[in-house]
Amino acid sequence: MSTKTPSEGDIIRPIGSFSKQFIALFVACALVFGAFLVAWAYQLQQGMIVTGLSDWGSGGGATWGLYIGAFIWWVGIAHGGIILSAAVRLLGMDRYMPVARLAEMLTLAGLSAAGFYIIVHMGRPDRMVTSILGHYHITVNNSPLVWDVTVITAYFVLTATYLALTLRYDITRLRDQLPDLFEPIYKMMTLGYTEEEDEIVERMVWWLALAIIIMAPLLLHGGVIPWLFAVLPGMPAWFGAVQGPQFLTIALTSAISGVIIVAYAFRRAYDWDHIMTDDVFRGLLLWLGFFCLLFLWLQLQQNVTGLFAAPVSTDVAQTATIGHPVYITAMVLVLGTLAYIFAQTIRPSLFTKPRAIVAALAVLTGTLLEKLIFVVEGFLHPEFEIYAATPGEYFPSAIEWLSLAGTIGMVVLFFLVVAKIVPVVELHAIEHLRGDHGHGEDTEHATEQEVKA
Amino acid sequence: MSTDDESFHPLGNEWENELEEMLDDTEYDSDLGMEMAQDAMRVTKGELSEAEFHEMYHDDVMEEFGEDQRPTEAAYEEAQAAEEGTMSRMLSKFEGDGEEGRRDAMKKMGAGAAFVGLGAWGTVDDGEPEPQEQVAAAQEDDGGDGTQWGMTIDLERCDGCLTCVTACGNENNLDQGVNWMYVLEFEDSTPQTGRPNRLVRPCQHCTDAPCEKVCPTTARHTRDQDGLVLTDYDVCIGCRYCQVACPYGVNYFQWDEPDISTDQIEEYYTEEQGMDSDHMTTTYENGEERWVDSRAPRGTMSKCTMCPTRQDGEMGEDMVGTTACEQACPPGAIQFGDVNSDTSDASKYATNPSRGRALQWLSPPSESALEEDLDGADDDLESVLEAAGLDVEDLMLMKAVGITGESMGEGDGDMAATETDIQAALDVIEAHGLDLDDEDILDELGLGDGDADDAQVVLDQQYGSPESSFLLQEDMGTNPNITYFGHEPGPNAEQTEPTGTGVEYADLSYERADGEMVDMVDNRKEVLDEETVGDAGVSL
Ligand code: SF4
Repeated sequence: MSTKTPSEGDIIRPIGSFSKQFIALFVACALVFGAFLVAWAYQLQQGMIVTGLSDWGSGGGATWGLYIGAFIWWVGIAHGGIILSAAVRLLGMDRYMPVARLAEMLTLAGLSAAGFYIIVHMGRPDRMVTSILGHYHITVNNSPLVWDVTVITAYFVLTATYLALTLRYDITRLRDQLPDLFEPIYKMMTLGYTEEEDEIVERMVWWLALAIIIMAPLLLHGGVIPWLFAVLPGMPAWFGAVQGPQFLTIALTSAISGVIIVAYAFRRAYDWDHIMTDDVFRGLLLWLGFFCLLFLWLQLQQNVTGLFAAPVSTDVAQTATIGHPVYITAMVLVLGTLAYIFAQTIRPSLFTKPRAIVAALAVLTGTLLEKLIFVVEGFLHPEFEIYAATPGEYFPSAIEWLSLAGTIGMVVLFFLVVAKIVPVVELHAIEHLRGDHGHGEDTEHATEQEVKA
Repeated sequence: MSTDDESFHPLGNEWENELEEMLDDTEYDSDLGMEMAQDAMRVTKGELSEAEFHEMYHDDVMEEFGEDQRPTEAAYEEAQAAEEGTMSRMLSKFEGDGEEGRRDAMKKMGAGAAFVGLGAWGTVDDGEPEPQEQVAAAQEDDGGDGTQWGMTIDLERCDGCLTCVTACGNENNLDQGVNWMYVLEFEDSTPQTGRPNRLVRPCQHCTDAPCEKVCPTTARHTRDQDGLVLTDYDVCIGCRYCQVACPYGVNYFQWDEPDISTDQIEEYYTEEQGMDSDHMTTTYENGEERWVDSRAPRGTMSKCTMCPTRQDGEMGEDMVGTTACEQACPPGAIQFGDVNSDTSDASKYATNPSRGRALQWLSPPSESALEEDLDGADDDLESVLEAAGLDVEDLMLMKAVGITGESMGEGDGDMAATETDIQAALDVIEAHGLDLDDEDILDELGLGDGDADDAQVVLDQQYGSPESSFLLQEDMGTNPNITYFGHEPGPNAEQTEPTGTGVEYADLSYERADGEMVDMVDNRKEVLDEETVGDAGVSL
């Protein structure tokens, strides 16, 4: 572990500096994202026919595919991110304070990607506002899709508020070291700030965190997102109560993986090994292992109930799933990660950060594949599986694959931009770290006192 | 919902008395119950608002039961959501003689009201039917309110010629592979009957349509006026959730620009066919004009519509109560009509399928021709048959149809017309002097005593009674409005090819409004794959 002491300077460093690598990454991501925007424009011009989708039934295809799979994946990452950050605040898991804000930002970025997917997936996105909002009071009673849009919007607002509130504290205190270029942004963000509000904000944030933690299983990734599928009796691959917990655990594995990757990237880029310590990564990895275990446990439940003596249609769907190479790959990736994580807890020398990154990437790939096959399998093996002369077939088209790269590019861009404007590590985290590690260093102590004053 | 007696309840005095008795048997206040039930009926009649009703009884109910969770609230709300409208709009349906209300809403309201009078007093003496059952019975009984278009499809009569599929494509100008009507042949794990199993699969126009329920925009809706489940092409955002939620796979998304423009369709129907309607927009009974018919525009969802342009009289009065597929079907396997009316083709066929088959098969001589033929002939059976050019069997079947007909000639479907013709022919023969109700004649005709049972046996023997009657995927809870006769596909049923009389989809084509011939395609994906960007040619 580093002997350096975390300072304000550390968290300010990303702002205002532009390294070559930064520019290269920015350009690369912009290109990928731009390429997808072009592809999307083509899709808008030609229609959804450019995808590999078709109608299920005599259309011989899958109605939804990668767009929806990736949508759930991003929402999962997003929801998990905010849950992580809320848990840090609520349960006082101070150890993860340095990555809490990154997790919140990941939520905003992930929700943006998911929202984008909703639009990309629609046949007539131009009617989004008139058709959905215009009938909202009626459809909100029974359309799971409307519930989804509602809850995603609510979460976005909640997270943005949460982030904005905590940023006021930091920006006010660090204002002198922030570039004047963004003065208007800072002004707006700290509008009407007084020190008395700190305590109130602290309390508000606590309540917000509580709301998020409660809403997550009841409404969010344990609720409306799985209900899109779980409430439909026509698709045995989806129907059932297990989808709620299953979706939530997948969300949490994805999100922890996402946070590991983002945190590692920042740590490397800005030499933050004294802020995002190895200890943080070890801890995150352990949590990842725990959720991987839950993930696999719920998969096991589905396989056992779906294969032992299930109704014909459920049996057909589950048999097809368990034998599917994509599904097997997903399970192997998650299982492998789990095995590694357990091994490194028993033998700490097995832990290295690159391995942690590999584990995180493996899980993210696994969850994406699982979501993809989950969505598609529903259409390939419906309850009314009579259409054997036009059996369901689907493979994502080039444009659909590109959407994946495009949204990843979009999320990276989000971080690249945001990191240049506001601190991505909370000032509180630095203060806290110094409280732990900075004893005996008078000067540092003095600054801390000043800040607190 | 009209009753002759003085009862407040639509099911009459008997029901009311029974209800009171049941209430007496419970520990709760039966006067309150009866009072509430009466006012609940006033709510359904629109004399009292739901809010007023709730206001009136909330305290009493709280006192009596310690909680106020009357299921009416839920029922009302559900009905309200389903009706996409306000309470008052819905209740206005129940003014007058109540004939106009949509059946579904009526059922829910009726059930809700019945529950108020009954359901809340859960404890009922043994021996009495469960309240739920009675409510269910009430629901059954109040059929006949408002129109609900639907079909009766006799799968054993289908010979798989796919004429209905082409007729639908032609009428609606569908793109290749958009088989709103679809016919398939299948193998099942049950022993083969020797007859191929076929399924004729239009949209089921479910009363509890899951597609409508999940739609985030109300584009997919059920028409109040006749229960058709339609898509408003101007509202649909193309999320495809309706297709996902439908357990039958009847939806077809418009993945690209349709092959024929709206102008061409309009031109064809208004100019070439001389219709007032463009076969795309139609005017609802409430005055709204909505684009719900013909092929969908790009990016929206389509499916079998059951021809609203026809049902709305925009193709002329004789086309009301018909669909393109029904008219085209050579063996008459499809019967379309108002399933709430006992005298529609669909209902007549459904209540007595072998008789229905007879009505498809028989072509009685016209009244005038028969009179002419019989002129001067003797009035014994043999002479009459000879003069009329009929054989014993023909007469036997005609008479059997007459005997078994409860509402001969009533209704305005084709079957009613055939019934009228048969009755007229039988009347001419009777008028000629041959007493068809004479014991000996009946005997000679092989109709036994001439009662309905004997006649039914004759019809069953001649035309066969179907293997079974079923609703498709009934356990999905969709309440489909298509009744099938024939072999119900089990969970292991698998489509085989080719369909029917050895005819393949690819061998057939239909003409579109622009004069082009469209070759039919069974698997639409083959058409769509041509435009997929970077089609990998593999499948997950
Ligand atoms: S595709 Fe159109 S009709 Fe179907 S659910 Fe979506 S908005 Fe409604």
